[in-house]
Amino acid sequence: MKQQEVGTIVGSSVHLTGSIKDSSDIVIFGSVDGEISSDQKIVIEESARVKGPVTGREVMVSGIVTGTITAKDRLELSPTGMIKGNIDTNTLLIHSGASFIGKCNMPDKKGDGLQDLSKEDFETEIDSEEKLEEGEEDKKED
Amino acid sequence: MYYYIFESPKSPGERALFERIQQIAREFGIFGEFVQASPARSAQELVEIAVMKNYSTIVAIGGDTHVNKVASKIINLGMGSNIVLGIISTEEDSFLAERWWFKKPEEAMETIKFRKLTKFDIGLIEPNHYFLTNASIICKKPSRVVLEVDRWQAEAVVDRVDVSSNLYILMERYARESSIVKSTFNWLMGRENIRYDQSLFKGKVVRITSSDPLPVYVGKEVMTHTPINVYRKLNAVNIITKRDKVSDEIKNEVEE
Repeated sequence: MKQQEVGTIVGSSVHLTGSIKDSSDIVIFGSVDGEISSDQKIVIEESARVKGPVTGREVMVSGIVTGTITAKDRLELSPTGMIKGNIDTNTLLIHSGASFIGKCNMPDKKGDGLQDLSKEDFETEIDSEEKLEEGEEDKKED
Repeated sequence: MYYYIFESPKSPGERALFERIQQIAREFGIFGEFVQASPARSAQELVEIAVMKNYSTIVAIGGDTHVNKVASKIINLGMGSNIVLGIISTEEDSFLAERWWFKKPEEAMETIKFRKLTKFDIGLIEPNHYFLTNASIICKKPSRVVLEVDRWQAEAVVDRVDVSSNLYILMERYARESSIVKSTFNWLMGRENIRYDQSLFKGKVVRITSSDPLPVYVGKEVMTHTPINVYRKLNAVNIITKRDKVSDEIKNEVEE
């Protein structure tokens, strides 16, 4: 058995309690009560039920997850998937039919600072944009 | 000087093979003492004799059960780092045959002669049952087992649990295939209409309990019954491996 290829597989007949950590991929078919953590990919299959935080590089959810999900690179929620909890990821893909109840936190990739803007800052920014538009209209009239 | 411990031959063909191995050992100049395990003198007793006679290399020739007995006794005598173990697997399709199988006896003896030593991990079932291969719990009917590994616990109904010497745990549940398409395909292909539900884990310390005591096999023999505590002894035994064909798998085990 090669360690790089073989990770952890929780079969559909298994009920697991506690935290599982693996440097390789983790695939869940059964039910897990506790933390799941991997340096690689975590796949939560359609038959899986997870209660607890999930942390991985890439997370794919086709089953039900109740808890926070942190996916460093990518989180994909399949049509059969359901997440009840907050998610924190770089790239998010939610398929039609999937269910997500919670808050999503994504990093500020373009550097436009939208996440850090307060309500006043946001209004000021809108005002300045409106003034610019008015200025352009005046120029056209001239 | 080598101490060759042969398994008791199960067939005339195997007896002839053992004689051929002895003959090739002499031709190759790998001299030593040839002994055979029997009900009167077990493989473990022969290992004790080898240690008393100060042999530094013991070659186990036979199936998984026999080789496991020899390896276990070497470790139990505290000689894991002093004695080198050579393996000639004569049981086709066995766990050890994957690594120590040979097409011709000459090939096996060449490996023994041009000895490349590799340290291997060995599994330990408390109190003193060591195993180089797998420890398997094979249930006659689906049974509920509880697996406690490091920081988690898993409960499942299983038909079989395999724990390897590097503490990979494979749990299997056999169920009748419910999908009509798959069962039709299986029927057309002449396969059994069974679906395998598999779980795979890895740990450092494993405890397996069950509601009823279940037999734990090493090779073909029952070694103990559940509940069991299984550990891994790192780099516990020095084994002769093929000089030029050491697989990545073996390298990985050493690197671990």
